[in-house]
Amino acid sequence: MAQNEHPPFIENIPAYAVGALDAEDSAALESHLKTCVSCRTELAEYRAVSESLLTAVAPKQPSAALRKRLQSRLPSAQKTIRPRLNWSIGRVAVGAAFTLLLALSVYSILQVRALQLQQAQLTRQIQTSQTVLALLSYPSTQNVPINVNESVSGTLLLDKDRNIATIVVWNMPLLQKDQTYQIWLIDPQGDRTSVGIFRPDPGQSLTTTSITSTNNLSDFVGIGVTVEPAGGSDHPTGSRIFKVDF
Amino acid sequence: MNDLNESELIAQVAQGNERAFLEIYDCYASRVHGLTLHILRDPMLAEEATQDTFLKLWSRSNQYLAERGPFLPWLLTIARRVALDRLRLEARRPALSDSNDPDDAWLTIPDLESMEEESRWRSMYFAVQSLSPDHRKVIELAYYQGLSQSEIAEVLGWPLGTVKTRLHSAMEKLREHWNEK
Repeated sequence: MAQNEHPPFIENIPAYAVGALDAEDSAALESHLKTCVSCRTELAEYRAVSESLLTAVAPKQPSAALRKRLQSRLPSAQKTIRPRLNWSIGRVAVGAAFTLLLALSVYSILQVRALQLQQAQLTRQIQTSQTVLALLSYPSTQNVPINVNESVSGTLLLDKDRNIATIVVWNMPLLQKDQTYQIWLIDPQGDRTSVGIFRPDPGQSLTTTSITSTNNLSDFVGIGVTVEPAGGSDHPTGSRIFKVDF
Repeated sequence: MNDLNESELIAQVAQGNERAFLEIYDCYASRVHGLTLHILRDPMLAEEATQDTFLKLWSRSNQYLAERGPFLPWLLTIARRVALDRLRLEARRPALSDSNDPDDAWLTIPDLESMEEESRWRSMYFAVQSLSPDHRKVIELAYYQGLSQSEIAEVLGWPLGTVKTRLHSAMEKLREHWNEK
């Protein structure tokens, strides 16, 4: 587009370049500039001129006090005018603190849970030991040997009068995670009734587990232990570890 | 200061390096203050505007993009806006006399001749001074006082058409001078 085809836009470009064009004319020119390459080129030249006017004044050294004053304001200015940086540091700090707190909380919960498990285990062992001691002290307690193989053996302590029994076995084989030992009482007809499950503790060669039956132990003739899926079974399904008659 | 050093210093300022900031201040404070004083005509107001300009530099140096142009015009553009904002805030319209522009002040700028762009800008000072008084008045009021053509017409009591013609003519002369260099 030739320059003489679009006055007054081109006439207004110098004033626009120095920011002196009135608002209405500025809007019209800006609209025209969107579609006119030659006017944009013209504007670029005048803008270079107006930019050069920035330095077309004599320099003047400010007072020395200004430099000191400015220097003293830099830290606070940085704080107020770099909110994103501060925000980021703050967020990172809060995030890190929160993560640390969360990690500590999880660690604490796991520790408490582990202690609870240890406590429950110790409680069971103490109860079993007390039961064993009690059984051994009763004159009516029946002591039935358990012989699985050369390394695995133990004793069944049985008090039919009080309906309590304890299995004490050395070197019970450790089980996989999805397995458990299940104890069965055997009646004269050969039917099995579950009276509990147990797992030997790793690192412990002696396994003790007490049996408290709601049934009358006198109605049964033997006791057996099988390997079952974790949680136990309604009826024996796995391999038999041992069976003793009493 | 060469371009490489300047870019490095600006990058360091963006990282919060006060020493780099002060180095840039020492290099350009007189240019910034010269402009703010030219616009505001009041030493105290000019120092405040100069201070505000450098505080903006301190906080926004990461907005400067070297690929879009030299640093000094960018800094002076900030200074001009700060000073014009202050001028509007004060609602004062200074006289047109320019007692703060002694020619020998240019001697305070180091190594001007060694930098092509600096030399070009320096010549613009003389180009403005060589304009006719009427042309210089409209440039002064339009660019350094931030007035529109209508406001200039009102201030000077000239017809709007006269203001437009003289401003156009003055800018045309400056462009010719700029393109000759």
